[in-house]
Amino acid sequence: MAERAAHGRRTWLAAVARPTAGVVLGVLTGLAEVLFLLLAGLAVIALSPAPAARRRTGATTVRYARRIADWEQHRLAVSASQPSPPPIQASGPRVLGYLAARLLPATLGLLTAGLLVVGAVLAAIVVRAFVAGTMTAADFLLQGLIGAALLLVNLQAIASVATLDRWLARGLLESHTRAALQQRISELTVSRARVLTAVDAERQRIERDLHDGLQQHLVALGMLLGRARRSRDPDKASALVVQAHEDVQRAIDELRDVAWRVYPSALDHTTLDEVLTMVAQRSATPVKISYDVPVRPARPVETVLYFVACEAITNTTKHARATLITIEIEKRDARIEMRVRDDGTGGADPHGSGLQGLARRVTALDGQFDLHSPPGGPTTIRAVLPCA
Amino acid sequence: MRIVLAEDSTLLREGLARLLADEGHQVVAAVADADQLVTAVEQHRPDVVVTDVRMPPTNTDDGLRVALEIRRRWPDIAVLVLSQYVEKRYAAKLLADRSEGVGYVLKDRVAQVEDFLDALDRVAAGSTALDPEVVRQLISATSHTDPLNRLTPRERDVLHHMAQGHTNAAIAERLHVSQSAVEKHVNAIFDKLDLTHATGYSRRILAILQYLGS
Repeated sequence: MAERAAHGRRTWLAAVARPTAGVVLGVLTGLAEVLFLLLAGLAVIALSPAPAARRRTGATTVRYARRIADWEQHRLAVSASQPSPPPIQASGPRVLGYLAARLLPATLGLLTAGLLVVGAVLAAIVVRAFVAGTMTAADFLLQGLIGAALLLVNLQAIASVATLDRWLARGLLESHTRAALQQRISELTVSRARVLTAVDAERQRIERDLHDGLQQHLVALGMLLGRARRSRDPDKASALVVQAHEDVQRAIDELRDVAWRVYPSALDHTTLDEVLTMVAQRSATPVKISYDVPVRPARPVETVLYFVACEAITNTTKHARATLITIEIEKRDARIEMRVRDDGTGGADPHGSGLQGLARRVTALDGQFDLHSPPGGPTTIRAVLPCA
Repeated sequence: MRIVLAEDSTLLREGLARLLADEGHQVVAAVADADQLVTAVEQHRPDVVVTDVRMPPTNTDDGLRVALEIRRRWPDIAVLVLSQYVEKRYAAKLLADRSEGVGYVLKDRVAQVEDFLDALDRVAAGSTALDPEVVRQLISATSHTDPLNRLTPRERDVLHHMAQGHTNAAIAERLHVSQSAVEKHVNAIFDKLDLTHATGYSRRILAILQYLGS
């Protein structure tokens, strides 16, 4: 019983103390935010003659503003006894707007917290007067009642300020986070469907490869050997066998090509640039590769880049009548960029099934894929993939 | 015999043309798509047309479409269709009105030169040539519901060969039994499958096949 009463007291204290502490902290951070915004504004104005430096400063400002806003979210969550929300996704202007809007709860917080301090001082004066005997008991009780009423009003005001603070954060930061999440979900839904389509298209291509290439080879080979066996002229029979032998070699090459188009298993034990070099050696059009990636990227990224390069080489050889293909792969910040250029006739169709499939594969990994191929050339395919 | 050949893969077309030439046949035209095939048949009126199913313009079943058209317009030209996969629908369409001078074999069978040439001869002679695989699928697809279950394994063998278009004599030779034994099996099959004895040889195959394909 006594324990429960103590617990009740503790929770009541926490319920009052946490928001109050939160509001007081909010006053201090509000002050810091005003200073931050003033400094950032001054810096941007001072750098206005130099646009590049101004852009850089703007980006830095937004980065720090996000950190501050994240911290504010954390403060609000702790003072409301809730878990901290995920990092905010809101745009730069919104975050800066939020920091400016925080001026209101910070000012109100200063007012209410100030009244609390004034109330505490008055209460101390009353108690001292009572203890010193300069105040009658009736007066003391009256003052106590008035003080308690004012304290309750003050606490209510503090709670309202905390609510306003939370409401601002939700309205300006979180609603946008939710919208961003919804947009992300719809993006993922679309890209997932596209990946399935791409996979099906690739399987169809593999079936075609096997049927139109390898199987025809083997059937033709069977015919050659059948003819050799039925031939009554030994010279002709041996000539047919020689031809069959050459065909076997071609069929083996064909099989290897098909297998490579299915999956670049060579990536298991060699790097992307070496594998592409092997592909380049077998290409009818000369291929030049430059590879500047210090740390080996993740396997899915390598695989997609491999397919993009192979498809580009195949397309160029088939349609573009090019004399040279250049492939450049380099790491930029947290992204890998690959450019495949050819000096051919251009006019590649971005809606062709091969290119569509590649674009889908790249976007499935949150990358970008563009094709620039004006009639008359040159053609450039660019794939940018994030690589953590 | 005079043959028109339609196959979109250059490699196979050349190979087939040489094979047929080796055998003393005359390949009067070798074409790569369905439209050229119609033109060539119109122009040359061959004894036999050998055609692939999947070929341009649409790369679906253009070869089969033209084969059916040839059967309709020139009933006396034999047609041998080479197919990538066994398609019961195709077999049923080809045999829909009559089974004389028509064949449907798997493309891979071409590598078994003797089988292919044998099928070609049978089709040219006005009988039927069906790939063993086609027959196997037709039989297995229907075996769980119908009177075929009542056939003995031997009778099933006989039916299998019969459906490929072999004569009783040829079946007897393949199964190493006397011709009269084969005739006995054939009659037993007809009894079990409720087929009248009054139908002619090729029509009875058709009847069986339609029955199997139903």
